[in-house]
Amino acid sequence: MGLAQETEARNPALRVATELGTLVGADRLRTPEGPEALAADVIVEPRSADELCKIVFKCEVDGISLAPLGAARTLAELRRGHVTLGVSLARMARVVAYEPDDMTVTAEAGVTLGTLNQLMAPRRQHLPLDPPNPGNVTLGALIGAAKAGPLRLSEGTVRDLLIGVRFVGHGGRIVHGGGRVVKNVAGYDLMKVMTGSHGTLGIVIEATFKVRPMPERYTLATLSFSNPAAAFEAAARIHDALPLVHLEVLSPGVAQNFSIAPQQFAAIAGLCGNRAEIDYQTEKIRSLAEGAALEVVQLASALRLYQRLRDFTLPGPGIIAQVATPPAALARCLQDCGVEFSAHAGCGVAELFMPGEPPAEEAASLVARWREIAAAARGHLRLLSAPASIRGGLDFFGVPSAGVLKLSRRLKAAFDPGGVFNPGCFIGGI
Amino acid sequence: METNGAAASSLDSKLSAELREIVGDAALVWRPSELKVYECDGWTIEKSRPDLLVMPRTTAEVSAVLKALHKRKVAFVPRGAGTGLSGGALPLQAPVMICTSRMNRILSIDLSNRRAEVESGVVNLHVSNAVKADGYFYAPDPSSQMACTIGGNIAENSGGPHTLKYGVTTNHVLGVELVLPDGEIVELGGATEDRLGYDLLGAVIGAEGTAGIVTRATLKLMREPQSRQTLLGIFPDVDSATRAVSATIAAGTIPGAIEMMDRLIIRAVEAAFHLGLPDDAEAVLIIELDGLEAGMSERLERVRELVRGCGASEIRIARDEAERANIWKGRKRAFGAVGRLASNYATQDGVVPRTRLPEILRQIAAIAQRQHLRIGNVFHAGDGNIHPIVLYDERDPDEVRRAIEAGREILQACVQLGGSLSGEHGIGAEKIHEMPLLFSPDDLIVMAELRRVFDPEQRSNPNKIIPTPGACVEVTTPHRQAAL
Repeated sequence: MGLAQETEARNPALRVATELGTLVGADRLRTPEGPEALAADVIVEPRSADELCKIVFKCEVDGISLAPLGAARTLAELRRGHVTLGVSLARMARVVAYEPDDMTVTAEAGVTLGTLNQLMAPRRQHLPLDPPNPGNVTLGALIGAAKAGPLRLSEGTVRDLLIGVRFVGHGGRIVHGGGRVVKNVAGYDLMKVMTGSHGTLGIVIEATFKVRPMPERYTLATLSFSNPAAAFEAAARIHDALPLVHLEVLSPGVAQNFSIAPQQFAAIAGLCGNRAEIDYQTEKIRSLAEGAALEVVQLASALRLYQRLRDFTLPGPGIIAQVATPPAALARCLQDCGVEFSAHAGCGVAELFMPGEPPAEEAASLVARWREIAAAARGHLRLLSAPASIRGGLDFFGVPSAGVLKLSRRLKAAFDPGGVFNPGCFIGGI
Repeated sequence: METNGAAASSLDSKLSAELREIVGDAALVWRPSELKVYECDGWTIEKSRPDLLVMPRTTAEVSAVLKALHKRKVAFVPRGAGTGLSGGALPLQAPVMICTSRMNRILSIDLSNRRAEVESGVVNLHVSNAVKADGYFYAPDPSSQMACTIGGNIAENSGGPHTLKYGVTTNHVLGVELVLPDGEIVELGGATEDRLGYDLLGAVIGAEGTAGIVTRATLKLMREPQSRQTLLGIFPDVDSATRAVSATIAAGTIPGAIEMMDRLIIRAVEAAFHLGLPDDAEAVLIIELDGLEAGMSERLERVRELVRGCGASEIRIARDEAERANIWKGRKRAFGAVGRLASNYATQDGVVPRTRLPEILRQIAAIAQRQHLRIGNVFHAGDGNIHPIVLYDERDPDEVRRAIEAGREILQACVQLGGSLSGEHGIGAEKIHEMPLLFSPDDLIVMAELRRVFDPEQRSNPNKIIPTPGACVEVTTPHRQAAL
């Protein structure tokens, strides 16, 4: 055995890199950087759909596992093991068509949400999907992980705004669904299928979204309470009375990051409209506050506070989970879970925060307990992130019903018969 | 052929007996004379009669029926109220029709969570009626909402005028109970806004009944807006009306609805309802703003200025609910009004980017002229979703041919302008042969694979949506009998 072969035997990633280099050019390949190292052995950065098709075709033939890196963070926080090849779309980051009068935008999946919204801001339009740190979230990651934020209350989530998708799938074929018009029922809804599929069905390369007008004015109303029940009750009263932009309820540990007095729960409502609409809503909230401390922040300060709210995450290592229940059951569910939280109150969705790095067994039983609580509330729980040291023993998604699992496996087998797209990191071990 | 009490000829009598055992005699229709009603839906150009109609009352019955069909590899077509406009409920090599209209109970209403759980045969409008007094509504509002069922809406991913602001069916259904074609019952989605795993629910909504039969659905309810203001703008030409559409939407808040009617429809509506629309009007826009009472007058004034600035010759604003209802009467009953002009009509459902509306309307006029047909337009302008109404007389075979031809040409034009074949009516049987205009063979193969995830044997509403490879061009295959 010569030196080259020996190296190859020791390092299959090197062989993959060499062969792909021959296929699409060595300058498309690089070693993983930072958090990418947790996700993939080699990174490829194709410059065109055509190159990506060749790469996918080869991976399928040779049984090389691959996954879109999108924002490497998303995957790095989820994965238990590496895929061989991480696909970065950093060089497929072109805005293909922005049509302000049609209010649609088509862009390659490597474009970040932040870049896209900067482009549209002069026309006072935006894509109102707001996961934390949109400057780091590519459209591919946004779709793949179905990321959302506070605006989901009024604007919906990826599935409500994605109107067209193009991906490279089985056989290195380019497949598209939907189109560039805001209303379209022609053909099966591949947008829904790809949204939240975590790169297990193919690699999204282009997306078209409906965009929305930015509100004329924006105001934040913050109420504080000494107990969670009062915070959620007030939130429900306000939600019932007003068409809010967003509505968050925060536990004290989270609330203290937003100038709320210690040990206080906060309800933060976003309002928009013209001056008369804002004035009316502010007064209405005052009347519904029932004596709770109320602070109203307007315009630029409101926007800054909203951005901090949107971007909030655990400052250090820890477990972050997302729970979803019917909205009226959320307060009780969060109380039973007993950790710090940030809740999208009107939607019945919340993030749970457990700082630190507990021993693996403790973490597993904690997550299992949260999951039982969520299930009892007719909801479910998934992990968004956990320290790498304990990730192996954690079930990220929980177990769906037998029927759903069967259909999910059939879907995976139909779209990825070779089992190469991001294997083993999704629901039911898919 | 009528056999003694059993179903029609092509079904084996054991199957008929088994189905009778499951649903009872009263829930089976087998006499050809009674089945005539079911030979088409709202797409009346093609007709095909099922051999047997089954009307189950429960999920268990649906499941048992589908198991019986599965055992014998018999295909079936689901049907709600039969109001669909693309032949989605047209049986094409599907001997058994399964109608959900008897599964029509609203199971629960949960206002604290803004949810309603309904059986799939519940009529769309009944949901909103059930929660209206409490100040809620169910947003998707197709023109047929007085008759169409939630199950049919889920199959077609139905829209309606107010979906400009609120979205279509897929944005308002949180979960379904689905009976797969082999009889297995699965729950997709549920009571929460986020789903676990793949969005299988999203794949089933709009699958036009090819994934099995939806028997139950959890719907999202919305809060009724405090206030609505309805404005009617009369325009001397279509282009300025279209400019007003874009200007209004760009102004910062999305209206509840923006609807347009062209000259032919205005005349028909005027003849039927006497709304006092001027003779020389070329386009009428209906713009409805909804939201808070506070600030509404400013918003309305702003829209009025924009509409005037775009060249409206006259603007009327509904002063009360009666006037608002009157404005909407013209729009919602436009199809009925058109019925006075011709014995038959076919409604198209193409979509173009909103800014291409003037072009598509010009092309439709040219197509009408070329095919010697009258075509009117009444449509969801805010979405760019056009509804050209092609008038024809089914007794004149040549006119029927030209009507079908005109429909195709309109769809081709929509696709060429960057649009789509269907905004809310579905592909069904009607537009199946136009699918390759929009999708590549690879796209269609993957869509067919997606369908087989739910229906591996392709027995649930066969011969819909995806054209069979090879049989790519002409409509008339032996099993399809155009109503000539």
